[in-house]
This record gives sequence, C-alpha cells and structure tokens, in this order.
Amino acid sequence: MKTLFKTAILFLTLSIISCEDVIDVDVQTAPSRLTVEASLDWEKGTAGNEQTIKLSMSTAYFDTTTNTAVTGASVRVTNDSNGSEFIFVDQGNGEYSTSSFVPVIDQSYTLEIQYDGETYSASETMMSVTDITEINQSREDGFDDEALEVNIFFTDPEEEDNYYLFRFQEQGDLLPDFEDLDDEFVNGNEIPWYYEKDDDDDTEEFVPGDIIDIALYGISEDYYNYIRILIEQSGGVDLFGTIPVALKGNCINPTNPDNYAHGYFRLTQVVRASYEFE
Amino acid sequence: MLINSKSRNHPKKSIKIFFTLLGILMVNTIVVGQDSYTLNGKITDKDNGETLFGASVFLKDTNIGVVTNEYGFYSITAPKGNYVLVISYMGYLDINQEVQLDKNQKLDFEAEEYTTRLDEIVVTAEQSERISLKKPEMSIAKLNIKTVKQMPVVLGEVDIIKSIQLLPGVTNNGEGSSGFNVRGGAVDQNLVLLDEAIIYNTSHLLGFFSVFNADAIKDMKLYKGGIPARFGGRASSVLDIRQKDGNSKNFSLTGGIGAISSRLAAEGPMFKDKGSFLVAGRGSYAHLLLKAAGEKNSAYFYDLNLKTNYNLNENNRLFLSGYFGRDAFDFGDSFNSSYGNLSGNLRWNHIFNDRLFSNLSLIYSKYDYDLGIEIEEFEWISSINNYNLKYDLAYYVNDKFKLDFGASGIYYDFDPGQVRPTSETSAINPLSLDRKKALESAAYIDAEHKLTDKLTAQYGLRYSVFNRLGGQAMVDYANDQPVVYNSTLGIYQRGTEIGETDFKKGETIKSYGNLEPRVSLAYQLNDFSSVKAGYSRVAQYIHLLSNTTSVTPLDVWTPSGQFIEPQLSDQYALGYFRNFLDKTYSLEVEAYYKTISNRIDYIDGSDLIGNNTIETEILNGESRAYGLEFLVRKTEGRLTGWLAYTLSKSEQRTPGGNAGGPGINDGKWYNTPFDRTHDLSLTGAYQLNDKWSFGTNLVFQTGRPVTYPNGQYEYEGLSIASYSDRNSDRLPAYHRLDVSATYIPNKRPDKRWKGEWVFSIYNLYNRKNAAAISFGQNVETGANQATRVAIFGMVPSVTYNFKF
Repeated sequence: MKTLFKTAILFLTLSIISCEDVIDVDVQTAPSRLTVEASLDWEKGTAGNEQTIKLSMSTAYFDTTTNTAVTGASVRVTNDSNGSEFIFVDQGNGEYSTSSFVPVIDQSYTLEIQYDGETYSASETMMSVTDITEINQSREDGFDDEALEVNIFFTDPEEEDNYYLFRFQEQGDLLPDFEDLDDEFVNGNEIPWYYEKDDDDDTEEFVPGDIIDIALYGISEDYYNYIRILIEQSGGVDLFGTIPVALKGNCINPTNPDNYAHGYFRLTQVVRASYEFE
Repeated sequence: MLINSKSRNHPKKSIKIFFTLLGILMVNTIVVGQDSYTLNGKITDKDNGETLFGASVFLKDTNIGVVTNEYGFYSITAPKGNYVLVISYMGYLDINQEVQLDKNQKLDFEAEEYTTRLDEIVVTAEQSERISLKKPEMSIAKLNIKTVKQMPVVLGEVDIIKSIQLLPGVTNNGEGSSGFNVRGGAVDQNLVLLDEAIIYNTSHLLGFFSVFNADAIKDMKLYKGGIPARFGGRASSVLDIRQKDGNSKNFSLTGGIGAISSRLAAEGPMFKDKGSFLVAGRGSYAHLLLKAAGEKNSAYFYDLNLKTNYNLNENNRLFLSGYFGRDAFDFGDSFNSSYGNLSGNLRWNHIFNDRLFSNLSLIYSKYDYDLGIEIEEFEWISSINNYNLKYDLAYYVNDKFKLDFGASGIYYDFDPGQVRPTSETSAINPLSLDRKKALESAAYIDAEHKLTDKLTAQYGLRYSVFNRLGGQAMVDYANDQPVVYNSTLGIYQRGTEIGETDFKKGETIKSYGNLEPRVSLAYQLNDFSSVKAGYSRVAQYIHLLSNTTSVTPLDVWTPSGQFIEPQLSDQYALGYFRNFLDKTYSLEVEAYYKTISNRIDYIDGSDLIGNNTIETEILNGESRAYGLEFLVRKTEGRLTGWLAYTLSKSEQRTPGGNAGGPGINDGKWYNTPFDRTHDLSLTGAYQLNDKWSFGTNLVFQTGRPVTYPNGQYEYEGLSIASYSDRNSDRLPAYHRLDVSATYIPNKRPDKRWKGEWVFSIYNLYNRKNAAAISFGQNVETGANQATRVAIFGMVPSVTYNFKF
C-alpha cells in the first residue's frame, strides 16, 4: 500500500521524464565489511532441518570480483530457550551448513559468528506465515491492463500485526524481485497480491508458458523495517525517492560496534509455489 | 545544545535594548511641526487605471519623499511652502506638479506609460528594479513582469518562479522539482503569497511550470532577508505576488497560444466605472494530443485567477481576489492523481485621514491532493486549510518617520490523510489520520526612520504566538522519547507508547511565543553608493514533511507541537550598493549569515506515508547558511540584463538529542540538499528594432548534494548497495543556455490588436543535466550501474501572444 503510494509518485515523474542513460560516476569506497546472509527459512510441510548460512565480504560498488566468499569462520545458532546448539559447518565456498536444525515457531534464536578475531552476534524470532489460498492469472488486474500478471491470495490473521516478504523469480531470469507488506492497512482481510512484469528495455511481459517461482515469507517487524529499506534502495533511488541511507541489519559486533556486519539473521516460515502461465 | 541556548538568550537582551531605543526614537520624532502639511492620494496608470506600487513621490530639491504602497497610496508631509512634486515610476513619464503647501490636500495622479520608440530606448521599463540607495531595504529581489516576460523559458511558458532563480541567492533542485530555495533554505521556508493568500505549492506538473499566470500578475517582490515585521511564519524568505486589479478604463483581452498551454485574460471597468475586474485562465492541452495519439497516460494543469474591486467612496475601496489551480495525472486505469491550490481574499482599504491608511483582509487558502489507486480500489486524500484575518495600518507620521503596524490571526486545519476504499471488494481498510488544528497569531510594529540626511533605519518588532489546538489524542512515550536510539543495533527506532492524552476541542496542546526583532540601516556614502546592514529573526511554526530527494506534491504539512518545535532563523546581512556610469549600471554586493534552530531531519528508514505519529521519525537539529552575492545590472540601453553570482554554503547538523545516540552522520555538520557552492546566471535582453528583440540566459550551478553508494554486498541473490553518509556526494554540475527571439509584426499604435511571436530554445546545447542518478543492477548482466535521469534536453518552442 505504501509501496503503491511511492510507485504513484514515481509514475508522476516518469510521465514527464524524457531521458535516462547509463553513465560513469565516481563513488566513495568504504572499508570492506563482513556480510551475513543467515536466512533460516522453514518451508511449510518440511522438517526445516537443512539450513545454510552464507558469509562474504563487501566490495567497492563497481567492483566485479565474483569471489568474495568468507571461509574459516565458525558459525553457530542457539535456541534461546533450551540452549540447544546448531553448528554450521564450513563448506569452503562461503557457505556454512547444518542438517540438524530444529525450527520452532515464535522461538528466539541467537547467531554467533567468529571470524578474523572478531565476534558477531544476532538474535531473532522464528515467524509463522499464512497459507497461499489461490493462485491465478489475469490481464486486467495489474498496473498494465493488457499485460499478464500472476495473482496470489492469502488471508491475513486479524489478531496480530503481520509482516510479509514476497519473492518472485521467473525461471531463467538472473535476478529475483522482492516485495514487502505490512498489514496495517489490510489487517484481517483476504489479500490479493499481483505480480506483473513491464515491457521495457530490460524486461519482457509474461507470456503463456513462462514459469514463475513464488515464495511468501512471514517476517518479524524488525526484519520488515530492514528489508523494506533494502528493497526500496535496491530498486535505485529516483528523483522523488527517499534519500538512501546506510542500512544496518541485526548482526552486531558487541566489542567493536562500528565493525558491524551487513546482512541479517532471519528466521521465517515460507510457503513456496510455482505457476505456469497459460 | 550549547549553541542553541546561546542564540536564544542573546536576542532577549537585544530586544530589551531595541524597545528602549524604539521608545526614545518615537518620542523624538512623532512630534509634527505646527506649520507642516500633508499631501496624500493615489497614483494610477493612465491607460488601465491599475494602481502603481513602489512609485516614488518626492518634493524636488528636498530630501522629502515616499514610495506608494501596495494600493498605490502615498502620503507626504512637509513644512509649509511652495514645492515641485515629482512622481516617477518605471517606464512612465515623470510627473512634475507645482504645489502650494499651505493646507492638507488630496492629489491623485495618473501616470502615462512611456511608449517606446526605437530612438527613445534610453528610459527602460525596469526602473523599479533599480536599487534604491537611501532605503534601508536590502536582500530584496524585484523583478518587473515585463522583464520576466522577456526571458527565454522552457516551452514558452512565462514563469515567475524560474525567473527569480536567475537572481543571486535563489536556486532550486533543477528541472522537475517543485519550489525554490533561498539562501540555502528549504522549500518549505518560503512564504509565498498571492494577493496575501498563502500558496502551499508553487508548481504545476512537478516544477515544470509555476502556478502564477504572468498575465494576471502586477508585481512581485522576493525578500531573501531583511523581512519587514509585517511578514512572518517562514524562516527563509517571502515572495509577495500581487495580482492586477483589472483595467478600469477599457475592456481588454490578453492571451497566448503555446505548445503546451494557452492563456486568456479579460479585464475591464465594472460598476459604472466604480470598479474593475480581471479574469484570467490558463490550461495545458498537450494531453489531448497524446490521447488522440492513443496514449493512455496523461498529465495536465489549469488555473484561474479572479480579481475585482469596487470604490465605495474616495476613502473606502473593496477588493475581492481568488485563485484556483489544479494538476491532474491519469495513468490508464491504474492511478490517477490531482492536486492544487485554492485561495480567496476579501479586502477593505480604508483611509482614515491623510496620513493614516489601513487595510483589512479576510483570506482563505487551501492545498489538497487526492490519489486514486484504482488497481487496489482505494483513494487517498489530504489537505491543509487556513483562514486568515489580518489588519494592517500605515501611519505617515512626518517626513522622517513612517510607522506600519497591525495584527493577524491564522487558523489552520490540517488533514494529513484519509484512505477510503472505493469498492466493496477492496482489500484496503478505511483509515483517517488525526486532523490537526492550530492558531498562529501575531502583532507587529515597524518604523521607517530617516535619522539624518544620510542615514535611514527601518526597525520593527513582531510578536507571534502559536497554539496547537486539541480535538485529538496525543500519544505519550516512555521517557518522553518518541524516537529512541537502539545502541545494540546502532539505529534509531520509534519510542515505546505508554498511553494517550486526550485533548478537547479548543484546548491548547502546546503553545509557543516568539519575539522577532527586525532591523536594517542604510547609510548613503555619496550620490551613487551606500552601505546597508540588517538583522532579522523569523519564527516558522509549520513544516513540510519530506524525506525524499525532491519535494513532491504529495508531501504533507505539519504544525509545531509537543515534539516538533518552531524553526527560528536569525539572519545577519551586510551590503554595498552602487550605481555607476550615470546609473546605467548598478552593483549590489551582499554577505549573509543565517542560522536556523529546530530544523528537523529524518531518521534512517523514516516512513512518513500514512503515519499518525510523525514525531517517531524525526530528530531535531539546526542549520546554518552563509554566502556572498554579487549582482551587476545594466538597466538602460538596447542591451539590458544582469550577471548574478553567489558563493555560498548551507549545512545542517542533527545530533541525537533527546533520543540519545550520535545523531545523523554522527552528529557532524553535513550539506543540506540545497547547498550550492557556485551559482552563476547571466541574463540578457537586446532590443534590435521595432520588430525584433532577443533574450538569453546562461546558468551554471554546482551539483546538488546527494547520497551515493560506497560499496556493495551479496544478499539474497542480489547485489545490495551500501550507502555513504547523508549528502556526502554531489551530482554533476548543472548548466544550460537558453535563447529567445520575439517578433512583433506591424506595430501600429492605432491598431487595437497587438500580437507578438516568441521563439525560444531551452537548453540550446542539449546538456543532459542529471535530475537524479540512480544506482542498481543491470537485469541481464547483474553488473552494478549508475543511471542518469535527465529531464529536458533541447526544447524549441513557439508561442503567440496577443493583446486586444
């Protein structure tokens, strides 16, 4: 809803903008920082025991180095109630895995990473998610009433504040698309959510036969506050966009606060689906 | 904090001194000599009966003189004797009249416009823009509507807001941004008045055009500093725009046909020559062509100006003026939006006696927008309304002393937002943000005082009071902290709500009072040069909430209250003014230093949309700006124009304060988005002959401070940019050249129909000035890239203007 508000402003602008081009820009370079992608996602209906955490280092903005993987770190997640520990084993490629994780809804966990003489930690609670009740396709519902879109439907639980993360990726596309939702304006309702692709220089509209992978995550308020900014900024900041900010996640360095890590330690329940356009 | 408390204490002391001085001065000067008499009256244009504002009226070979006020009124007092009264005004023939001053008398004059023949282009139409060496007023930018109309503009639309940006100390965020910035101030720090009504948004189509139709405007004045005590409420500037009264002699039509829009204005006498009217309309029609071409999206604007006046008798005159303007955007069946200003003003001019003039105004103004999001089946509306009652008096005490005083009250009604589902099936729940109400009242007194032949002073005091009124509940926060620094995560978060306090209607939630002294001095060094100095303090009680890189039409105003304190600006200015080469050229140099306390900035990730508790998203800070402005004008001859250059700095600082923590950018000073190190404009007009004249603008500005990435990291399959400190980078420099040519066919004085063609090219060398640079991943390669958004390349246009 708020995203739509912002989109509306964006469209006001686009309607009169005449020219966009890619240019060379000099930017500042901050010292490299540890990046934590600790997304412990529990797919509904599975055991959720297989989990992977990725560690890498940040680079200069226009750097095209692909190998930024961090190896040699020790990574461990603790269940804050019963103290059970899950050790994530270094796979040598920046990934750290376990197959013994036990996910519990509404349970808080702590992540601890030791790397290069520094200790990083984060705490987060595992959030549940409601089911997707229906998936269909249409042309008239999206922004462009001639383009195909996929619609997913789910019912927001009324008694609590809920936050959602959507992930859409057409099979064959390089990059996924993320969207976020706070139930503030839609609490307790059946929510239809559409996803459509524009026909422009970079992307093409959906056509019959395209397959789209969909994921709906239930996320915590803190993570929502983080991912909302990340999504907004990753789309680029246009003329009427919010001034971008240095985004901080929940992976802190207690002994050296300035040396915090990028990324986030999240625990979510997720429902996944794929849809083939007809 | 230390700096704040210092700057707050020191004005109190100066106010005390000021009052003492004021007392002494007034006792010494209000004594009118026994054998002095007063002349008063009104100066109007002979052709159309428009009253002339700023015409100088003086007694030849004396130091006694005044200028006419906004309603053309003058009053001049001198010892008994025989004099020659001289009236001079821009582009008008001087009037010389012998007067025998042995009694008080009323003399109205009609000034005749100079008809410019080629060999006579010695007197120009810009005398009003000439600097006045004697008057203490400084930091003022005056532009004549005629000058404005000569400048080349984008798509042929004459634009007041764009023209003032060619003067020193005035900038904006480039194309596609609303409003303007004065001396490093924010857009919401400008008080924009159209016939005294507050205009909240000065732009059509997101800054492409201004809301002021030049055909309906008589004159305008921008106060960049040295703001007289009769104005208040905005920290940086006042743009005072007056509409024409309407031709009281003949019926006339003016209009223009342009590429984007067309205009038509009708004016004429009314009420058996006891009054006159003006109706002016303007609308864009490019969208109709787009629609015809099958384009589903459209954007258009229109506006309407109205003015009428009625002379009850020689001492009483009524004016009614109105403005209505609207922008509309339509994106197929997905979105639509419209927004605009509405204002009306009823005024009563009353002349008590030959030395006391008064005006009572009842003013209403409103800004509102609505946004319909059809795909989600809801609409969003928001508005700000205000009712303003104002009484101003001018007392011409004697030839050395003039007093302005008055009072005003503004009642505000803010509707920050309402969400309404537009269908049964909408997934959106209805929502109304709390309406906010406030009362801003003020009283002022302002004196213009000739201390000696060489030294003139203007000094005044304004006392303003702001009451945030009840009728709503206010959230209470733990430890009175709406924003709290989370030291573990190193981020600012909303405070903990511990309850609500209900305020009844009419009850005061919070009130503020401020004494605002204003002083300026002019010392005339010799016949052609003077120095001036000034200090002013202004309080601002309402704030525009905007955390985006440019102000948008969907931003919302909010009043001061428990958590948002009024902005207080203190400005010091010093200037040197000089005419040379027989007044053909003038030079103005001014230095200023301005501080503003309680300037808010937004915490990282602030979310202002649909937010009932804005206080949880902001931190209180301060800002400061300083600069040096140069303006060289050539006001006579075939070639006229000016060169303006400003060297300046505008910074702000936002410590954690009550919320704790280091604040924004670690509490250090950082550039405001309106910081421009260099700002240069060259504007010229050349009259070749009867038929052809040419105009040009050259503009250069340091790029706007922005925030760029300083690194990237991999997260969830994306490359995410990490951003550097707020406003620590800059867009590339902005520059462009515009040219225009005006052709007047068959200029025959006997023909009523007068037409002209204006050909213009905006951005002649097609510079792609970056309005924004956006960083993101290429969808196909995944590589990071910087995308420049440029709004206007080279834009040629043709406009036909006529007068009948």
